[in-house]
Amino acid sequence: MHLFAQDLVNGILAGGILAVVALGFSLVWGIMNIINLAHGAFLMLGAYLTYQLFASFHVDPFLSLPISFVVLFALGYLIQTYLINWVARAPILTIFLLTFGLSLLMVNIALIVWTGDQRGVTTAYSGANFTIADVTVPWTKLFTLLAALAITGIMQLWLTRSKTGRAIRATSMDIGAAQLSGVRVAHIYAIVYGLGAGLAGVAGTLISLSYAVNPGMGDPFLIKAFVVCVLGGLGSVEGALIGGLVYGIVEAFATQLDFTIGTQHISGSGLQDAIALVVLLIVLIVRPTGIMGKATA
Amino acid sequence: MQLRPIAALGALILAAGLAAPSGPAAAAGDTIVFGSPVSLTGSLTKEGHLTQEGYELWKNYVNAHGGIKVGGKTYNVDIKYYDDESKNDTSAQLAERLIDQDHVNFLLGPYGSGTSFTVAQIAERKKIPMVEGNGAAEKIFNQGFKYTFGVLSPARRYLEGILQMTKAQKPPAQTVGITAASDAFSQEVAQGAAAWANANGMKVVYNNKYPDTATDVSSIISALKATNPDVILNAGHLQDALLVQKGLKEQNVMAKAYGYSVGPDTPDFASSLGKDANDVFGGAQWSDAVKYKGAPGFYQTAQEYAKAIDAAYHHRADYHNAESTAACLAFQYAIQKAGSLDTEKVRDALAKLDVTTFYGIIKFDSRGINLYKPMVVNQIQNGRLTTVWPALTADGKPKYPAPPWGQR
Repeated sequence: MHLFAQDLVNGILAGGILAVVALGFSLVWGIMNIINLAHGAFLMLGAYLTYQLFASFHVDPFLSLPISFVVLFALGYLIQTYLINWVARAPILTIFLLTFGLSLLMVNIALIVWTGDQRGVTTAYSGANFTIADVTVPWTKLFTLLAALAITGIMQLWLTRSKTGRAIRATSMDIGAAQLSGVRVAHIYAIVYGLGAGLAGVAGTLISLSYAVNPGMGDPFLIKAFVVCVLGGLGSVEGALIGGLVYGIVEAFATQLDFTIGTQHISGSGLQDAIALVVLLIVLIVRPTGIMGKATA
Repeated sequence: MQLRPIAALGALILAAGLAAPSGPAAAAGDTIVFGSPVSLTGSLTKEGHLTQEGYELWKNYVNAHGGIKVGGKTYNVDIKYYDDESKNDTSAQLAERLIDQDHVNFLLGPYGSGTSFTVAQIAERKKIPMVEGNGAAEKIFNQGFKYTFGVLSPARRYLEGILQMTKAQKPPAQTVGITAASDAFSQEVAQGAAAWANANGMKVVYNNKYPDTATDVSSIISALKATNPDVILNAGHLQDALLVQKGLKEQNVMAKAYGYSVGPDTPDFASSLGKDANDVFGGAQWSDAVKYKGAPGFYQTAQEYAKAIDAAYHHRADYHNAESTAACLAFQYAIQKAGSLDTEKVRDALAKLDVTTFYGIIKFDSRGINLYKPMVVNQIQNGRLTTVWPALTADGKPKYPAPPWGQR
């Protein structure tokens, strides 16, 4: 029972981070129909920015959240305006390759600037924890989860209430109609791509607290973002949150799974990824649009 | 109009193709060319760079000291690298390219067991000898390969030393919990540790694996914590070692000793974790405290070698550096002995090699792995890596049991 509760907590804490990782990826994919392979690299840059601010100026990682967002937003905005917009009408593979190339470029620049050394953001309160009813909760991860929930909430409000947010949603529903109503689509696209990058940066900041910072760190998260997105439903804020939490919890419980097929003893913990993908498959069979996704016209 | 740039591009590619050297570049201008696909990006970047440093240090030493004498003629050495992105398949493809297009004489291994295994298959097929210093999984050596030699102690022995050391304490440690990444090397390390523990009266209370791409290991740590072992061991690489060590503190997991197969020996472990890295043990192929007296032709002691690494790369010599350099040394002595650059003759000389170096004995069993060199155990004490086991080579005493978190 105690392990069950602990796993549930572990899963929710891990899922909160995955939700932020997937959020930006999901918006870019859902609204612009771009599978952004540079998302992991943006995340990595956010993590390095946090590391550098922490190592050089002792800036607390939570305080560097807005900095990561602004810097990465600006980078994303520029990339969309000056690179991706050029090939906006090209076949989808071209954009795919472009974002892949950008990812390689950023990873290699990071390798030159920071070398391949593993870096860590270890604060004075790193690893501090409290225990309720035999369940241990690390403070940093709890705050990370709260930050993730806050970011998701802000994004949801902004997309539904603000003028720009509505323009974004309008563009995703019908580009032609949005243009006719006076929406500057190129500008909106740049904002969305910037948001995607900014949110990846924020995720990188949060991840740097528990995961080693290195140039290749974005790769496993990119793959997870992909799965979480499809699981939760594309382009929706709630989808990324629910998808992230489900993925986190499934992985946590998968770890404790033990079963025997014939004489072969199989432990679930080496198969976390596979089990999470099986869950994805089941969700896709039952609800092809993802848990929170809506059918498109 | 549209065609012109394409045609120009085509012409350019053609010109580049013609300009590229054709025919055997190997040994051209009295140079022995080695090739190595190595992890310059990807998850094993750090380890890959340490490998490259080990190779480069040797190359620069040899070239500065008159090269290698082969049957009355001296050769300089050169090493050609490609980035395998820490991917097994890419590593193999690049090895093929090194042999077929770059016509290298010999192969130096990539970093890691996964890549070493795929490259070993290429070496075997092309009959080009490879000496590697970074693939310790015995899987590589149980295939009957004739052209692959490994200078390191096999994976299963990585954590043995830590267990021996904890068992020698008073009172001796009795229970062990093991977490391991799912790659071949880590699995062999974990199996070796569990086998040793079982054979020596210690009880393995937890032994489980996580995917080597894991981004969160908290649930494994929860399960491990529930079994309350005296000794906590992790079989993995630097990135997961950092993740596990942070996770152990987050869940306040208390043990008498914490040991890692890869991690504490690399300076990044202490620099990333600060005080939380203290009192952790690491199994190592080598440390700068070992006391061997090597054959002439290269730095003869670990201390001289460590000084050279520090001068060249401004960090403390790490065992990844040393084992990589040792792979080069195996070639150096074997080529001298063979008195030829003929791949078959060098292969035979490698098989019969028996030489002591700054790194320890280099001698291969019939499968090509080095069973003759012991491992050492290091512990991070007040931020400094100290060799604590075996007692003969130690430059400090193990700190055991570990104090609680927050008091390190």
